[in-house]
Parts: sequence; C-alpha cells; structure tokens
Amino acid sequence: MASWPAHPALLGTPTRRVDGPVKASGRAKYTYDLQRPGMLYGRILRSPHACARVLSIDLSAAERAPGVKFAMPVIDLANPEPLTHKVMYQGQEVAALAAETEEQGADAARLIKVEYEVLPHVATVEQAMRPEAPKVFPDGNVREANVDETGDVEAALKASAHVVEGLYWTQVVTHSCLETHGLVCEWSGDQLTAWSSTQAVHGMREGLARGLGIPQTSIRVISQYMGGGFGSKLGTDPQDVICAQLAKGAGRAVKLMLDRKEEQLSTGNRPSAYARVRAGVDADGKLTAFDAETWGTGGAGRGAGYPLPYNIYQIPVRRRRHKDVYINAGTQRAMRAPGHPQGAFITEVVLDELADQAGLDPLELRLRNLPAEAPDEMWRRYFPMGAEKIGWSRRHATGDPTPGPIKRGLGCAANRWAGAGSRRTQGQCEIFPDGGVTMRIGTQDIGTGTRTLVKMVTAETFGLPLDQVVVEIGDTQYPFAPGSGGSITVGSVTPTTRVTCEKALAALAEKIAPELGVDPAAIVASNGRVHAVNDPSRGMPWKDACKRLGTAPISVDGQWETGLSSVGTSGVQFADVEVDVETGITRVRKIVCVQDCGLIIDRLTAESQCYGGITMGIGYALFEDRILDRNTGQMVNPNMEFYLLPGPSDIPAIDVTLMDQPERGVVGLGEPPTISTAAAIANAVSNAIGARIRHLPITPANVLAALAEARARERRGASGSPQATEPGGVQGAPPINIGGAR
Amino acid sequence: MDHPTPTSRLVSADHCSSLRHKGMYVMAEPDPKESKYFDAYDATAYWCLRTQRAVGPDGLPVHADTCRMGRGCCEP
Repeated sequence: MASWPAHPALLGTPTRRVDGPVKASGRAKYTYDLQRPGMLYGRILRSPHACARVLSIDLSAAERAPGVKFAMPVIDLANPEPLTHKVMYQGQEVAALAAETEEQGADAARLIKVEYEVLPHVATVEQAMRPEAPKVFPDGNVREANVDETGDVEAALKASAHVVEGLYWTQVVTHSCLETHGLVCEWSGDQLTAWSSTQAVHGMREGLARGLGIPQTSIRVISQYMGGGFGSKLGTDPQDVICAQLAKGAGRAVKLMLDRKEEQLSTGNRPSAYARVRAGVDADGKLTAFDAETWGTGGAGRGAGYPLPYNIYQIPVRRRRHKDVYINAGTQRAMRAPGHPQGAFITEVVLDELADQAGLDPLELRLRNLPAEAPDEMWRRYFPMGAEKIGWSRRHATGDPTPGPIKRGLGCAANRWAGAGSRRTQGQCEIFPDGGVTMRIGTQDIGTGTRTLVKMVTAETFGLPLDQVVVEIGDTQYPFAPGSGGSITVGSVTPTTRVTCEKALAALAEKIAPELGVDPAAIVASNGRVHAVNDPSRGMPWKDACKRLGTAPISVDGQWETGLSSVGTSGVQFADVEVDVETGITRVRKIVCVQDCGLIIDRLTAESQCYGGITMGIGYALFEDRILDRNTGQMVNPNMEFYLLPGPSDIPAIDVTLMDQPERGVVGLGEPPTISTAAAIANAVSNAIGARIRHLPITPANVLAALAEARARERRGASGSPQATEPGGVQGAPPINIGGAR
Repeated sequence: MDHPTPTSRLVSADHCSSLRHKGMYVMAEPDPKESKYFDAYDATAYWCLRTQRAVGPDGLPVHADTCRMGRGCCEP
C-alpha cells in the first residue's frame, strides 16, 4: 500500500510553479492564444431580449458577407416544441457563423435577421414573486422546497433571552474568469481535436460526443493552460458544440472565444440569497434557535439553495423553508464553494447581532457555541490563533468611538468544506533506460498549480530533482482523471501519482535487486540514488539503475488508493477594516486566515489558494454585483468597467497560517478560503460604523444607507433590530411577502 | 485505461442519461458527515447534454426531480 514519505525532500516545501517562467514570459499558450492553419473565427448572435419568441432567422445576408464561410441557426425553428423557440434571457444563443477574421464575423453577425416577438420578462426576484408576474416557465416562477425543521422553533425563540430578526441578502455575482470561455475545434475526417479552456478535459470530451452524436473515441480534448474557471467550466456549453459544428460546416479550424459581455451574460453565476431570519440566544450566550425563510434566484434555472444556518455552530432548534425563484437571466452554475459563502455570510452576521444584543464579545459567543469534541473541535483552536494575529484584544464594542470620519473595525467568521479524492483517477508512469521519467495523468491545471504538484510528487518518489522528471497533463490521451472542481484535484491527483510512481519504482527495484543483493521491497530512491532503505551504501546512481533496463522502458498504470488523502477542511478568517463614514468607502486593511489542509504538497501553491480565495471574497464583499435593468431585463454592467473586481490597491495584507496535518494525507483547499471572507468583512464594517450591514456588496451607498437607517432608529428610539432596507435600496419599503402576494 | 461513465448519488439509472451536474465530473467520494452538518439544501446546477443548457430539449428546466422516465425527451 502506498504511503507518503516520513521525511520528504520536496513535499511541503515552498516550491515555485514549474510553469511560472513560460506563463510570465508569454510562451505558455492558452486557448485564447492558439492559432491553427487556416483557422476561422466563430461568432454567436445572441438574444438582446430577456424573453422573446423567435419567429424567424434569416442567415442569407450574413452568408454573403465578406469572409463568412459558414452560418447556422442555433435555435431550431423546425423543432415542434414551441418552448424551444423562446429565448429565456439576454445573451441566449440564437445563431452562429464562422468568418476569416473576428471583425468580419462581428460585422456578419449584425446582418443576421431575427424576428422576435418580445414577451414580458421578470428581472428581479421581487418582480418574479408577484402573483401577476409573467411566468418564466409554465409551472410558475417559484419552486418551493420542503420545510426542514428540528425542534419547536416558536417555543425556543420565546424562551430565548435575546432574539434578532431581520432580512439579509447577498447579490448575484459572476465567475469573471480572466480567460473567457471558448475553444478551438479542428476536424481531420471524423476525428475532432478541441483545444478548450475547460476544468475537465474528459468531461468536455463526453459532452462534445453527446452533443455532436459521435463516439468519444473520435474526440481529443486538450487544455494545457487555462485562465480560471471557478466552477463555470466544468460542463459542456452551447458554444462548445457550436464551435465544432462551425468547424465541420466550414471545413476549417474555428476558434470561438467569448467576449467579456458574452461571458457575463451566459456562462453562469453565483445565485442570490435572501433570508428572513429569527434567531435567539439564552442568558448564557448559548444559541437557542434559528428560523429562516429563504429564497434566491439562479436565473432561468434551479439550484439557488444554500446551507442555513451555516452549520459550524451548535444550534439545537432550527427551521428552514426555501424557495428557488426563476427570473429571465443566465443560469447559475457551481461557483467556488457553491452555497457556502451565502450561508456563511448570513449566519455569521446574525451571530454578531446576537452577540451585541447579549452584550457579549462576538468571539466569545462563537467559542461558547462551537463543538467541543473531535472531529469538529478545531475551530476552538483556530479562532484564538486568528484573534491573536489580528489583535482582537484591541477590538472595541460595535461602533468605533474614535473622533473623525475614519472608523476601524474587526470581524471574524469560520468555514468548512469537504474536499476528497476520486478513486477513479488513473495515471501512467514511464521510466526510460536513459534515466528519464514521464508521469502522465489526464487532469488539467486550472491555474492552481496542479502541474507543479504532480511533478513534485513524481520527483519526490524517485529521489530526483524537479527538472529531471516530465509531467504530461491536460489531454484526453492521458489516463482518466476527474474534473477540477469541488477541491478534489489535489486529493485525487497526488495520491494517484504517488501510487503510480511507487509501482514504477518497484518495477525498477525488481531489476536491480539481484545485483544489489537486497530484497526488492527494501529498495527506495533518494538523492539521485536507488538503494537499500537501511543502507544507502548498497545502491547505485539513478541513471545507472535505469541502464539496467536495456532497451525496454518501464511503463506502469496506477489508480487512486485510499490512505493518502482525507475529507474535510476547516478554517477561520478575521478582517480588519477602516470605513470612511462620510464617503461610505470601505478599505480592508488586513485579513488573517487560519486554514487546515492536511498534508501540504507545495506550501506556495497552498498559500496561493488562500490569497486567491480571499481576494475573491473581497470582491464578493465590497464590489461585485450583477445588475439587471428591471425594465429591460438587460445586464447594465456586462463588462469589467462597471462590474467591479478588486484591483491591486484593494487587496490588503493577507496573513495565512496553514495548519500542517501530514498524518491526514492531502486535502483540497480550492474553495474553503473564499467562504468566510465576506462575512468577516461585513462584521468588521458593522463593528467600525456602529450600524448593521445585512447585505452585500458593501458599497459606499449601502454603508451610507446603513448609517442613515441607524440614525433614524436612534431618532425613533426604536428598540430591537433595525428594519432592513429592502433589495433595490428602497428604505422603509414593506417587507417582501415570501409567498409572492404583496 | 478505464474511462468511467459519470455517476453520482444525485442521479441514478432511473434518470435521463443526458442529465449532468458538477458532481458527475468531480466524482469525489462523499463526505460521510456531510448530511450531519448541513441541511438538505440544493445548490446543484444541472444541465442537459443534448442542449448544453439548464433546460431540456422540450424547453423545460432540467433537474433530478424532473428528468426521469415519463418526461417526453428523457432517454434511458
């Protein structure tokens, strides 16, 4: 059975990405950079309407346009199902063409004549939940889930010493991958090669095969370098099949990369999350009950659920009623920790409110409600560590009393994620007589450093320097590996690499054992030598050992095994912010992250996951917001000018502490670091300004609105929780009726 | 080398063979504790292999609840 080395030479060290130089110098060819002989450029005509019926598509003028080699409808008006003639959101694919240049393609697309019958749409959950709202789908706009209930909520709340009640919500955000979705397709007879910006080369092959109606054996998918996916590139999209069809129709290679507007409209998003919450705490600061009516939208599709309460804290009595709401917008997709950032934000903000009501330090409230016993006791250790690093002892009560407009505040939040390994992961390793080593595995490096990790494990196992092993990934010609999502890549790929390389080393040991007079099972490799485990002098240099292979390389296949990876990662984050209460501008000064992740393969890439996740969390907290015009259903910020992402000056000092747990084996880290950032920042902002932040993003306008609301409450002398401002920024608006009967 | 067919605990043999979600490509072993610490929320994004979208060939939403035998476009 394979195992990790007790005294590794490479594993756990901060190792620079092996492809860093080719990426930094521009020599790494992303899908966007690829050029094939005779390549055409694909272009998709998309619906400008949020909801419409397509009556006709006339391609004739476009087909005659300069440079156009092939054009096709995407909506099939011959389909007898009338619903398929409808476009459900702005940006839905209607027709496509391939032209000699991108500019010719764009010009020709404008010549495609589409006759639409524009239909009423709904662009917000408020619109969609009204009884008179036009229906996105025939069965209505609201899908109700079952009530999830543990205990007697009303009795528990009644018995609580303190209760908070309010409306909380988070916005829709997009994945905003720096490299947009797209691919290059090239046919050779019936064989298709697709260079795709994908998180799953094997998944893309399966999707293309089913979409095109051809065998998987006729398709090869390659993804050597790709510029981010965050969950949005795990499946096969319409443009993937369209690109292959255009290439087939034109008889030439076609590149079809989406532009930024297309990317924002049609390649997925994180759903919104709304929650009307009542929660209580007893006189000892123990949580008593959590009652939530929740809803959200994933656009013209389901899946807007999220965990609530975010179950880290022990809450004995809970009730949850959830509704998915359809609107005329692009559909949601998995996005870095699906559901968790929403659930964490709402839960952690409610906890801070309860702490204020109970007159407790929010950290103390958390510590009183965390599990005390293994395997879930880790937050009790991580919270004090983070508190020490952020300087929690200097935290003031809610509302910075410091004179002047700049207010400082601290906040915290926790996260958990499963991660795991996939037993279906396979690999292949070759050792050549000249000492060369090639490790092949059909995974893909989505920007996280997977190529580096495979190389490190391979080099570690053979006792070789990194530059003496070759790693081949990102190609369906290599053994099967799962898609890179769910934080399972490292837990799938590195154990498989270790298993496969150990098998290859065992085969080499069999060859040289007689010469060394050592049991093959007692032979290991380290420091460029192959030798007896207890007597390094009984061995030979790696290259000499490989010469004993003669003319035939060793070639072995391997498969993932248990025992080298674990499930479950946990962490906490603290935020230190300053807020200008005159302008409403929030600046995050520092984030402290304490995160466990099992055995660390590469400390640098593990830390990078935390930096990236936290940066994404800052965007979620402060900037990002997909805004739809309620009158037209069109996105008003489908770009990177008005859809705001954190820039370098928005990224604070980030202090990452990785909890080494080598005994657990590897655990993925891609998702958890982004879960708790927005919650920690929101609590820090509330701590700074003395007004409760109950929704995202924390824009200057929303900060000023929260301050105005707090001042109004003071004037009213109101007790209890503040009245939340409703979505859309209408202060004092009546609360949303969740049943839709306003 | 084996090229496994996507499966998951959410989608069974009773479902349409074109129904897909992220977990069918990620293929991780489920966390045995997961159901203990989270309620039964559904954040799953489903899509149809025939349309590559969140609606099926009939124009209706795809989901594990609905993409079963009996729906006109469902394929075993």
